[in-house]
Amino acid sequence: MDTADTTDNLKSVNAQIPTKEYLAEMWDRRDFAVAVPLEQLRSEHKTTLLGNVWHLGNPLLMIAVYYFVFGVLLDSNRGIDNFLLWLTIGVFTFRLTNSSVLGGAASITNSKGLIRAIKFPRSLLPISVVLSRLITFAIELSLLAVFTVLSGVGLSRRLLFLPLIIVIHTALNLGGAFIAARLNEAFRDIQQIIPFLFRLLQYLSGVMFPIQRFLGDKITGVAASALSLNPLMRIIDLYRWVFLGTDFDVGATVKTAVISVGILWFGFRYFRAAEWRYGRA
Amino acid sequence: MTAPVSISVRDLYLDYEISEDRRQALRERLVNHQGTGRRVVRALRGLSFDVTAGESVGVIGSNGSGKSTLLAALAGLLPPTSGDILVSAEPKLLGVGATLLPTATGWKNIRIGCMALGMTADEVEEHIEEIGKFTDLGEALDRPLHTYSSGMRARLHFAVATSVEPEILLIDEALAVGDEAFKRKSADRIEKLLARAGTLVFVSHSLGDVMQRCNRVLWVEQGRLRADGDPEAVTEKYMAFVG
Repeated sequence: MDTADTTDNLKSVNAQIPTKEYLAEMWDRRDFAVAVPLEQLRSEHKTTLLGNVWHLGNPLLMIAVYYFVFGVLLDSNRGIDNFLLWLTIGVFTFRLTNSSVLGGAASITNSKGLIRAIKFPRSLLPISVVLSRLITFAIELSLLAVFTVLSGVGLSRRLLFLPLIIVIHTALNLGGAFIAARLNEAFRDIQQIIPFLFRLLQYLSGVMFPIQRFLGDKITGVAASALSLNPLMRIIDLYRWVFLGTDFDVGATVKTAVISVGILWFGFRYFRAAEWRYGRA
Repeated sequence: MTAPVSISVRDLYLDYEISEDRRQALRERLVNHQGTGRRVVRALRGLSFDVTAGESVGVIGSNGSGKSTLLAALAGLLPPTSGDILVSAEPKLLGVGATLLPTATGWKNIRIGCMALGMTADEVEEHIEEIGKFTDLGEALDRPLHTYSSGMRARLHFAVATSVEPEILLIDEALAVGDEAFKRKSADRIEKLLARAGTLVFVSHSLGDVMQRCNRVLWVEQGRLRADGDPEAVTEKYMAFVG
């Protein structure tokens, strides 16, 4: 072949690059991954009157409603010290996962302009969303710390474990965001279904009442063991352990870390497997 | 010794599956017929050609002939159904239709666009003033992108895509929409690109632009290559075809 000498140095534009190279490319564009969520946060709340106040106002109002329903009306706070704080931790941490996955679902479909204009690792888009929610969560956590001090519980040395718990939590959220992003790109209806799944998950994760009380009591056998694996329930418990000193289960924590990282690993691969076609629609 | 090949397109086929959502621009460009439901559109049907470094190639053809699809495929934004595209460096695409972040200002779009192309935040800060100046948009850069006309957007995209000094630059209809002063500036930049043995592939409806800028023209019709060669000869054939 007479062209062999001149085309040796060419690479296919669509070659699937090895994961290591892909990760390096993502790292090269890390500034992009940070700039996009900051911009989105700014534009999301620009249009509402109170703007950024809603980042906190929204969950606080929700806590008030749950407190009234579950604490006052249903009395499900029996045996729980500091129910208000216990509830606040559940709402804040659950919201992080919920908004990360929901935002992740829309991350590809909302960025068609960028995707059609420029070639870059698309996984930066769900990552951007998860990062932006983490910024909000950081504010919520500091508020939580203030509440904990004001309520007289005080802050414990267990706070040192907080970064590790956030890492496990973020692995779960990122994995969920990757999976939701690909599903939503293929079937736009997923975005309508996710809120219902999360409503169910909210009850199964013991956000506003202690779900564990039902496990092994009203719910038994396989169902109970399956539900007890729910990583979100365990992660919420870990935050409660840090702030309130509730029970800590070493075995369950290790299992949760493994499950969360597993979901991230699967989600990343699942997302990447269809990455080539995200520019199409 | 011949110049090295920078783009090699080999028996390129690209099919689209069209679904019911027809508002999306790229799709609309490809669908010339009415009707709903899913259908397969054969946008590109067996294209093969090589481009050598330093060449400036114009692509012409009637609406829906597959020109824009070809460019998006060269950029790696659309995967081929079969066949392959080989390149010596990552091509940078500059399209008019694309909007980066509609609600963000022109400055933000320059920043984020450059970062997506692989610049670090520091590199962007270093070049942003120069890029902004090149766009000639002045105070409009403080306004959100959705308030821009297509010509203004094209200038911003051109400035961003050429800021990284690409080896292979793909331009989709962009030059036709700028005003005279901007056209001259962008022509300068393209000449510099070609002078350092870069490659340009340029899609346009303006045959004048193509004749002026390109030393080779491809005529694509219904996803097939109808003619390839000297600009004058190819555009003459094309003119005869469209009558």
